[in-house]
Amino acid sequence: MNADSKIAPEKLLQYDEYVEALDFLDEDSRFEYIIDIGKRADKVPFPADCMNEAHMMHGCMSKVWIVHELDGGAHFFKGQSDAIIVKGLVSIMTGAFSGLTSEELAALSLDHVRGLNLGALTMQRQVGMMAMLKHMQKLSRRADIAAEVAEVTAAAD
Amino acid sequence: MDGIMNDISQTSNLAGHNVEGGFDVERIRRDFPILSRQVHGKPLVYFDSGASAQKPRAVIDAMTEVLQDQYTNVHRGAHYLSQTLTDRYEGVRGKIARFINAPSEDQVVITRNTTEAINLVAATYGRSFLGAGDGIVISAMEHHANIVPWQLLRDEKGIDLKVAPIDDRGVLEMEAYEALLDGNTKLVAMTHCSNVLGTHVPAKEIIRLAHERGIPVLLDGSQSVVHGVIDVQDLDVDFFVFTGHKLYGPNAVGVLYGKAELLAKMPPYQGGGDMIETVTYEKTTYKDPPHRFESGTPAIVEVIGMGAAIDYVTAIGMDKIAAHERALLAYATERLTAQPDIRLFGTAPEKAAILSFIQEGIHPFDTAAALDRAGVAVRVGQHCAEPLMDRLGVDGTLRASLAMYNTTAEIDVMIEALERARKLFT
Repeated sequence: MNADSKIAPEKLLQYDEYVEALDFLDEDSRFEYIIDIGKRADKVPFPADCMNEAHMMHGCMSKVWIVHELDGGAHFFKGQSDAIIVKGLVSIMTGAFSGLTSEELAALSLDHVRGLNLGALTMQRQVGMMAMLKHMQKLSRRADIAAEVAEVTAAAD
Repeated sequence: MDGIMNDISQTSNLAGHNVEGGFDVERIRRDFPILSRQVHGKPLVYFDSGASAQKPRAVIDAMTEVLQDQYTNVHRGAHYLSQTLTDRYEGVRGKIARFINAPSEDQVVITRNTTEAINLVAATYGRSFLGAGDGIVISAMEHHANIVPWQLLRDEKGIDLKVAPIDDRGVLEMEAYEALLDGNTKLVAMTHCSNVLGTHVPAKEIIRLAHERGIPVLLDGSQSVVHGVIDVQDLDVDFFVFTGHKLYGPNAVGVLYGKAELLAKMPPYQGGGDMIETVTYEKTTYKDPPHRFESGTPAIVEVIGMGAAIDYVTAIGMDKIAAHERALLAYATERLTAQPDIRLFGTAPEKAAILSFIQEGIHPFDTAAALDRAGVAVRVGQHCAEPLMDRLGVDGTLRASLAMYNTTAEIDVMIEALERARKLFT
C-alpha cells in the first residue's frame, strides 16, 4: 500500500491488529468476531446526546453516528449504531483509524478497507465501510478548517 | 384451527416432493439453474422473489437464442431477420393479453417496468384529464412507485392526494375508502397486493364502488400477477400494471393494460421513433395504441424472455402456483408465529406468500445478516414503502417473499437461522 509510506507504522498498530485477527479467522468466525466487537462496544460509553441528526452518517441501512475530536492535530473518532454488526464494523473503523492527521486519513484508501478482509462477508459491508472511511475523512477536513478559522479569529482578536 | 393445522401438515409433507394436481416443486426447482448454487457454503434459500424472481432455463434459453441466432431490431426493415423477430416480439403482446385476459393485444402497452407504466398513466391520462382540485385516492400500503408519480402530478396540477387507511392487520378500511370517493375524486390508483404485507385488496369491490361514481381505477399488479390468476375483464379494471422480472422473466419489461377507450384518448408519453405515423417539421401524427406509447427501440430480447416466462408459468398453471404458495404461507406463518420473538406484520385473511416481520430486540439488519450467513436471502429495510413503515411504527422489517420454487424445508432453514440469530445477538 503506497499510502502507508505517508503514515507512520506505529500509528496503524490497532489497524494491523484487526487485520491479523481477521485474517486468522474463517468466514463464520469472522462474522462472530464482529458481533463480539459490536457487543463489547456498548461497554465504551458513547455520548447519548450525540445520537442525533447532526452526528448521523446517512446512507446506511441501520443508523450510524460518528463523533469526532481533534487533539494535538490528531483526529479521534467514536462510533455507534443501532445494529450490532454495524456497531462492530464502526468500532473497527474508528478504532483502527483514530490518532491520524487529516493528511494521513486522506491517504487511506479502499485498499486499507479491503485489507480488513471483511468484503467476503458481503460486498455491501465493504461498501458501507468505505463510506464510513470517507465520512471520517470529511469530518477530519472539516475539523481542520474549523481549527484554522478559530486560530485566525483568535489572532485577529 | 385444527383443520388449518391438518391442512398445513398434509401440504408440508407434500410440498417438498409432489403436491396433488401435478405440482412437482422439485422438478420446478431443477428448471431454475441458480437454485442449485451455494451461498457462504450453504444451499441458497431464495426468499426475495418479491424484489425480483429467479429465471427458469426456458427464459434464459429464449433470450440466448435471440441473441445468438435471431437478433436485429424490430418494427423496421424488410429483411428476413427483422420480419421474423418482429413477429416473435409482437407475439409476446398476444401472450400477455391472453395471460391477463385482455380483450385485445392492442390494449397491452409494453413499458420498462411497473414504475414506468404508472408514470405513463400519470403523465398522459393524469396530465390531460385531471386538474386543480381533483383528487386521486391511493392506499396506505403503496410502493413508492404508486405514490411519487402522483405527487409529481399533484405538485404540477394542484391535485389532492388522498390516502385510504388500513387497519392493524393490513386490511384496507373500506368505509373510509368509500368516503374518499367524493365528488372531487377522479382516479383511484391502488396496489392489488401489498409488497410489504401481502394483503390482497378486495379489488372488485374497490372498482365497483369507484365505477358507481364514474371514477376509473388503476391497479398496481406487480405482486398480484405473480401469486394468482389475473382477469382484467372480470375485474373490470381500467388500468392494470405489472412488471416482468417478478414474474420469473427478465428485468426491463413491464406492462400497462388499459381499457381501449381510455388508451385511445390519451396523448403520447415520450416522442421518438416507432410511435409515429408521419413526421414533418410542421406536424407529426401518432400511431394508435399501444404503439403510440412505445417510442424508440424496445427491450427486444427481454420482451421475448418475458414471453417465455409467461409460457412457463401458464404451462404449470397460475392456480396451481397459487395453491402451492398458499400452503407455504400457512406453514411459514405457523412456524414464525410459534417463535417467541417474532412480530409479524400483515395478517389480512386474504394475503399472498409475503411475510414481513422483525425479531424483537434485534435490529432487522442483524437478523438479515444472520440469515444471509445461513444462505437465506430476504429483503431488509423499508421495501420502497416508507409511509407504510411509519404507519406500522417501525424503521424497517425483514421480508420473506415466497415463490413457486420454494419449499417447506427452506422455511425450516430460515427458522433455524432465526433461532441462531437469537443466540448470537441477545
